Amino acid sequence: MRNIMAIAGKELRSYFASPIAYIIIGFFALPFGVFFYLYLDAFLRQSMQMAQYGGNMNVNQQVIRLVLQNASVIILFVMPMITMRTYAEEKRSGTVELLLTSPVTDLQIIIGKFLGALGLYIAMLLVTLLYVAILFVYGNPEWRPLVAAYLGLLLMGGAFLSIGLFISSTTDNQIVAGIISFVVFLLLWIIGWFAESAGPTIGPLTSYLSITEHFEDFAKGIVDTKHVLYYASLITFGLFLTAKSVDSERWRG
Amino acid sequence: MIEVQHLTKRYGRVTAVDDVSFRVERGEILGFLGPNGAGKTTTMRILTGYMPASEGRATVAGFDVFEHPLEAKRRTGYLPETPPLYPDMTVREYLDFVARIKGVSSNERRTRVEAVMRRTRVSDMASRHCGKLSKGYRQRVGLAQAILHNPEVLILDEPTAGLDPKQIIETRDLIRGLAGDHTIVLSTHILPEVSQTCQRVVIINKGRVVAVDTPENLTARLQGAETLYVHVDAPGADVTSALAALPGVTRVQPAEMRASGAYEVESERGRDVRRDLARDIVTRGWGLLELRPMRMSLEDVFLQVTTEEPAAAAPESAATPEEAPRA
Repeated sequence: MRNIMAIAGKELRSYFASPIAYIIIGFFALPFGVFFYLYLDAFLRQSMQMAQYGGNMNVNQQVIRLVLQNASVIILFVMPMITMRTYAEEKRSGTVELLLTSPVTDLQIIIGKFLGALGLYIAMLLVTLLYVAILFVYGNPEWRPLVAAYLGLLLMGGAFLSIGLFISSTTDNQIVAGIISFVVFLLLWIIGWFAESAGPTIGPLTSYLSITEHFEDFAKGIVDTKHVLYYASLITFGLFLTAKSVDSERWRG
Repeated sequence: MIEVQHLTKRYGRVTAVDDVSFRVERGEILGFLGPNGAGKTTTMRILTGYMPASEGRATVAGFDVFEHPLEAKRRTGYLPETPPLYPDMTVREYLDFVARIKGVSSNERRTRVEAVMRRTRVSDMASRHCGKLSKGYRQRVGLAQAILHNPEVLILDEPTAGLDPKQIIETRDLIRGLAGDHTIVLSTHILPEVSQTCQRVVIINKGRVVAVDTPENLTARLQGAETLYVHVDAPGADVTSALAALPGVTRVQPAEMRASGAYEVESERGRDVRRDLARDIVTRGWGLLELRPMRMSLEDVFLQVTTEEPAAAAPESAATPEEAPRA
């Protein structure tokens, strides 16, 4: 545990010691803010109209949910930037020799790196809470669906990170790692689009595989164990592949 | 302290290390000598647990590096060829991180880091980023990193590569100072380094150990005959045949790249022909300008074992091709 925390701390510190962390957070917060503004604006105009006819509007469903659904796509773009360097850079600069000859296990290194990346991701999400805070100042959204949505974001991000970590461990070139991660993430997103046209057997399968599809329920404020299980198994699978990749690298030298 | 038995490492079809065996006793400094690409780094990487061997065993401080990697790693300090530094960490941060993953307890960590920085003379760069250090400091921080957890065994891959002469001397002194409490294996392709720092030498070429001995014994053993350097002032005379006629002299040839009148005289082993040689030259009325024994330098030894031995062993290796299964 001590070793894991040492490595996670080192990873997190190196993100913030270089401009990477700030660029990533900025890159995420800016479009998030734009979406937030657009949906809030639409919501306000709608609610003005609704007030004339007498009706009910829900901030949770009509602002937060839509903003976070869009955020899940921005996250998909940002994640490769977080994970591309994790292993690739250590291999390129030779620091991986230090890690692999220290009395720590491969799994401790992998989990440490995963938690470090997750730390940066959490920092990213914390910034978005500022926008949400504005809603709480001027309105009264419900906090329970909000917690569910952020739990969903955390799980989905974790799944992206563990896959990205694996891809980074297969190369010593961060650009290659970044591009491949991006393509894989993109595929995991758009595979859900085939659901409607793919027929009754393949359709549900493709929508089950889509990484963003499973976030829908979380965005609505529903925590379904089916989705939790999906993300948890994806995270485990990614970390497992990373472990295998690091081990096979050892044997090949 | 370190025991390597029949170590073999293949990368696909290429055999990088071929049946290497040697031992290092406690407190000893062993030099690992060989041309570039001889398999030095691969052997060291196996010893440090960075990669497994294809065949054979290696034990460090009594622990098999493959069976009990964590125990072995806890007792090993390793300086790879390029010091493994994180460019965006300061020297102190970096050493603190290394101390954590090497398992230095949290109450000792601070004092240990400071002590090691003093010992390797990097204290004045403590809050400089590793990426901004000069080559010499980088190497020293690398060394600091290796000795941080006070390991019993130190494995240093070309610790003086790329340093200026002054830094080389400082680093050698540092390494010599570390011997005693630590058992050290250091690799190099620079020969004077070995004769100056190491008690024993393993010469490795094309993945095979070609010689193991002390630097002195190696020089003596490989020197088949005693050679004398003679400079004679005898214009026009046939010095070569005159000297060759002396009892005990086996060969006389003009010395390479010397003024005329300089000769190398080889004699039978264990026989000192200097007196006879001097008397003969003087009685012939020639002038004896210089007479001294020529010692084979480690350079010569090295060149001899790494260039001649494979040629001599060629028929044997042709009979047993590399791919053939080992007995």
